[in-house]
Amino acid sequence: MSEEERQIQGIREAFEQEFERFAALNLDGMALSDAEARLQELRELRIRQTGKRSAIAGAMKLIGRVAPHERSAFGQLVQSVEKLIAGTIDAAEILLSDHISAARTELERLDVTLPGRRPRTGHLHPITILRQRIEDIFVAMGYAIEDDREIETDYYNFDALNIPEAHPARESQDTFYTTKGFALRSQTSTVQIRAMERRGVPIRILAPGRVFRRDTPDMTHTPMFHQLEGLCVDKGITMGHLKGTVTEWLKRMYGPDTVTRFRPSYFPFTEPSAEFDFSCFKCAGTGVFESERCRPCKGSGWIELGGSGMVHPNVLRSCGVDPTVYSGFAFGFGLERMTALMYNIDDIRHMFENDVRFLEQFR
Amino acid sequence: MNISYNWLKDLIDTRLSVEETACELTRVGLAVEGVHPHGDDHVFDIDLTSNRPDCLSHLGVARELAVIRNSKLKNKNSETEGKPKAENQTLVNIEDADLCHRFTARILRNVKIGQSPQWLVDRLEAIGERAINNVADITNYVMHELGQPMHSFDLDKLTENRIVVRRAKNGETITTLDEVERKLDDRMLAICDAKKPVAVAGVMGGLASGITETTTNVLLEVAYFDRANIRATSRKLNLATEASYRFERGVDIENLIRASNRATELICELAGGEAAEFIDVYPTKFTPSEVESADISAATRRLTGLDVSTEDCNRILNALGIVVSDESAIRDPQSTIYLSPSWRHDIAIEEDLVEEVARHAGYEKIADELPPAFGAGEYQPTELRERRLRYCLAALGFDEALSYSFIDLRHDGPFQLVPHLVDGTLEEKFVTLRDSVIEGAVRMRPTILPGLLEAVRLNMNHQRRDIKLFEIGKVFAAVGGDGLPKEQKLLALALTGSELQEGRSMTGRPLDLYDAKGAIEAALGSAGIASVSCRASEATHLRLGQSAEILIGDQVLGYVGRLSEDVAARYKFRQAVFVAELDIATALAGPGDLIAYKPLAKFPGVARDVSFVVPRRVELGAILSEVSEVGIDLCRKASFVDVYEGKGLAENERSVTIRLEYRSDERTLTEEEVEPLHQMIVDQVTNKLGIVVRV
Ligand SMILES: [Zn+2]
Repeated sequence: MSEEERQIQGIREAFEQEFERFAALNLDGMALSDAEARLQELRELRIRQTGKRSAIAGAMKLIGRVAPHERSAFGQLVQSVEKLIAGTIDAAEILLSDHISAARTELERLDVTLPGRRPRTGHLHPITILRQRIEDIFVAMGYAIEDDREIETDYYNFDALNIPEAHPARESQDTFYTTKGFALRSQTSTVQIRAMERRGVPIRILAPGRVFRRDTPDMTHTPMFHQLEGLCVDKGITMGHLKGTVTEWLKRMYGPDTVTRFRPSYFPFTEPSAEFDFSCFKCAGTGVFESERCRPCKGSGWIELGGSGMVHPNVLRSCGVDPTVYSGFAFGFGLERMTALMYNIDDIRHMFENDVRFLEQFR
Repeated sequence: MNISYNWLKDLIDTRLSVEETACELTRVGLAVEGVHPHGDDHVFDIDLTSNRPDCLSHLGVARELAVIRNSKLKNKNSETEGKPKAENQTLVNIEDADLCHRFTARILRNVKIGQSPQWLVDRLEAIGERAINNVADITNYVMHELGQPMHSFDLDKLTENRIVVRRAKNGETITTLDEVERKLDDRMLAICDAKKPVAVAGVMGGLASGITETTTNVLLEVAYFDRANIRATSRKLNLATEASYRFERGVDIENLIRASNRATELICELAGGEAAEFIDVYPTKFTPSEVESADISAATRRLTGLDVSTEDCNRILNALGIVVSDESAIRDPQSTIYLSPSWRHDIAIEEDLVEEVARHAGYEKIADELPPAFGAGEYQPTELRERRLRYCLAALGFDEALSYSFIDLRHDGPFQLVPHLVDGTLEEKFVTLRDSVIEGAVRMRPTILPGLLEAVRLNMNHQRRDIKLFEIGKVFAAVGGDGLPKEQKLLALALTGSELQEGRSMTGRPLDLYDAKGAIEAALGSAGIASVSCRASEATHLRLGQSAEILIGDQVLGYVGRLSEDVAARYKFRQAVFVAELDIATALAGPGDLIAYKPLAKFPGVARDVSFVVPRRVELGAILSEVSEVGIDLCRKASFVDVYEGKGLAENERSVTIRLEYRSDERTLTEEEVEPLHQMIVDQVTNKLGIVVRV
């Protein structure tokens, strides 16, 4: 072995000695800051071992001075050692860098299951939600939404609606009266009269609003509740149109498979009169839901919703409409009852208590 | 109304099963709400509408079944038997024939009062009636069978053994069967003996003249009374009975003899009685109401869309007892006159006939159809803007409340009502109910706030401390003269506690007045109204110094602020509560602000912040208006940056920082150009307001 070769061997040994602590480096569980310090040291080592003033760089300069016949072999030797040094450092650096970036990722890892950041959203009252939905459907069917007075005269609350003095609905124990003798409207049908007086006929209106009856609050009664009343008067309107309209609305509300049922009934302001039911939205009219008796329809498959009929000729006449020329239908129902059925609310008094635990369940 | 299936089968041949019967009755309008087995019988629970008192008996329901099945009723008891043989004119005297249209009396002798046989007890129990003694049970039985209430007297307890039907005299009293002494007046009809009232006509018998174990001779009353009078008496005495219920709705005046005979027959059979004299006094003869119809088939088609031939219409009507008058063809060949039967009080116009035809032809046969197209649909004029406002408030964390329109009288006092709601010149400014079903709640609310604050309290009681609620609803106030009360739609807010994050239990910054004001601004802004401002003002329910009027343009529409200690104490609030209320109807009545586009700036501007140290009474508004007073055209915008109170400032001072933006449309401004302008503005503001720049 020549002097030069020994020198190269020495360089190699010196490198291996200095690199030893990196070779023995255990990355498992190494903290990020330690790893970064090691990487820094490794980079310094690289400069010492491969920089311009490094031993191997000096050896490169020797190549020219070696005898020509040995030059090629010597050159290869120097290059192989240089390659070995650089490669060993590269490998160590990659390991360290990978460890560092992995550690850094871990350090910045977020819990994506934490709640998204947003202010608490408020909630509309279920009565509002339902009212808006129904209004949308009827506006799309060409109806005008009407609202009117909540405090009325007996004329609008009763007389014009063909409710005779003797009718049970008229007994004062059912109606709130003010000290001046005005009635709190006991049904939204009052709007029929005012709207027909104002707009004349033909007319198509939907009137949602508060109504009042002297019921002591219990699970199924509140002295104030909301009704929704529809009215359509034109030439040639029949009960077929009533059935068609109510059915169309309920199909849009509860799906195209919904069916309706009309049963003869009695209301002073309609003749003929009918109550209407629709196939239960929960059990699709089967009366059974998840192999148990369906709750909203009490197992009957039908949900009784409201009253309807052909506007009584006396009502038309009291609005100045000739019942021999015009006919019309009207229907009405209670929003609280519908809401309670849809959301399975057992006590309708909740509707006016404004308990946030109740309100925040609807949107 | 309970109806026994077996009992129905006594009255009509029917092959309909129990289920079919229930289904068919419901179909024609006698809604069967339930079917309950009772021994070998089934009982239908029928929800009758108030226009059909004729169905308050098994006979009435059987009649409907007969129409459904197109079959005939069995006529068990003849009407001819027991027709008055000798009229005992002294037995019954009707003095007030206007209130008693017909009165029959039957004397039964040697009656033995005792228990009813088991079959009778069973029948009564099946329909939920309690057996008492044979005579009482028989009258009850016949009422449920034929629909005719009746009353039995102990003949020997009637002074002079005779009946006088007359109005009671003011001051007369009677102790009724329920052992309550009742005062009668001269508008009530009484059944009397020679001296005194022995029954309140059509309502309840007297205790003294009633049947007892020792009764042997019975006077059986079967009568027809004026409906309205019975109703009035029943209301006045606050006494409603099965009899009054039927009389006030109307019984069958032509069925009295049959009912009387049926009861007589049963008393003879089951209580060993002997039928003696019978008298029928009938001063106000029944006249059927006439209903004219030019073409019943056409009328049915016109109203229902159903095609029913005239023949079928008439078959249904006939089966229901509605017959064509013999005189019909003579009086007017162009139309038909139908006569309503004595048991129907609800057939008056052609539409009533149509309903009878339609319900038996079947509502289910009416084809669904949509009415032909009409005009365009429309919402209430403010509905869509109200919806945006609602969604906006919900997005800001407000839950929508709905509270009762009536509130306790003691609640409206402390609240400053929205401007122009109440007419201060009136003695009675508010709308008050005669009474309520909720203790004390007789005031039609002139403000929504008491309802909202009640809700805040309820939620606090459920350990909710961070609450934001809003309500849109009507309030009420009296008007002068006899006019209808004023109704006005308001928006109200109540908020308290701290900011909440969805899904995070840790609360944020405590809410303050600016959250309330901000919610109003945002809500109105979403409805297209940007020109909202506040002006310090003292509202009675708000804390001094934290109370403001809400203005749109120059118009004061309501108030916002922190609830006063006084009002807060009423609700036992221990944390600050902020409220706002404003006249949303007036706010939304206007068209909403127009949007005017301004071209985007071509050159960059220079922004300068300046902080002023001000006494607390100097408002940001004053500073900003002074800035614009200076009138520097290149100063394009003055905006609020921040306010600071505390360290480094005196107790009564606050530091207000604003940002002034200078910009030209022709060139980029230099610092050198801006500096003197800025200095001029700052100098003038400090001089005019007597404040200093914070350094
Ligand atoms: Zn169901």
